[in-house]
Amino acid sequence: MTVITAPVRKTLELTCSPERAFETFTNGIDSWWPKADYSIGGTSVVEVVFEPREGGRIFEIHDDGKEFDWGHVISCERPERLVFTWHPGTDPHTPTEVEVRFTATGSGTLVELEHRHWDRLGDRAGSVRGGYEGGWVEVLAAYGRAAA
Amino acid sequence: MVTGARTPLEPLLDALGDGTRRAIVELLRRGPMSVGQIASLLPVSRPAVSKHLKQMQEAGLVTVEPAGARRLYSLEDRALVRLHAWVESFWDEPLRRFKATAERTERERR
Repeated sequence: MTVITAPVRKTLELTCSPERAFETFTNGIDSWWPKADYSIGGTSVVEVVFEPREGGRIFEIHDDGKEFDWGHVISCERPERLVFTWHPGTDPHTPTEVEVRFTATGSGTLVELEHRHWDRLGDRAGSVRGGYEGGWVEVLAAYGRAAA
Repeated sequence: MVTGARTPLEPLLDALGDGTRRAIVELLRRGPMSVGQIASLLPVSRPAVSKHLKQMQEAGLVTVEPAGARRLYSLEDRALVRLHAWVESFWDEPLRRFKATAERTERERR
């Protein structure tokens, strides 16, 4: 069953510079994150924020002003590396972790994302439900519980 | 991942969304068990365990095989593999959008 808890790895090549990639990923997150389908609040979400500093918050803001945390920044090494916890709608004390690396190439930037520590989700506290369809939040939490 | 839409994973999520059923998953990870064995290890009655197992079976999370006089329940690896496949694909759309935006911005700046 070890394959189930292996880290998820994604790689993509961009034609822009690492600086542009890093800036877009962090300060520019609201311009690209698919809010309606990938959030706790769905269509209630008006903004997504990524604070690019150690201890910075990553969160969604709803049309009523409420904020819901997705994670916190562990490491912010502009423009090469980002490490942050990931616990949208779930217990912040047992988060998964995401590392994103931005490496300059001859034609732009190699972006490597690793989403790991699925085994940490074994012990679950309550998760944010409210009136929202859990969608992917529930799936991630359910997956983590089953995979531990 | 679309909020509101019933995805094929819905029954699986329902199955995994309950604490007792998750406890049953934990037990079955050690190996096949009968209803009696499961009930003896949980603060839940046999009929309740049976009911949970039925739902888990319908969700494709467990299978049952007759073993002599008892029926043994096993965890269906395929269900967890399916969930894993979904998790594997989670970042695809966000990253696709990220790439498109990062590259577009760069072009506009030139």
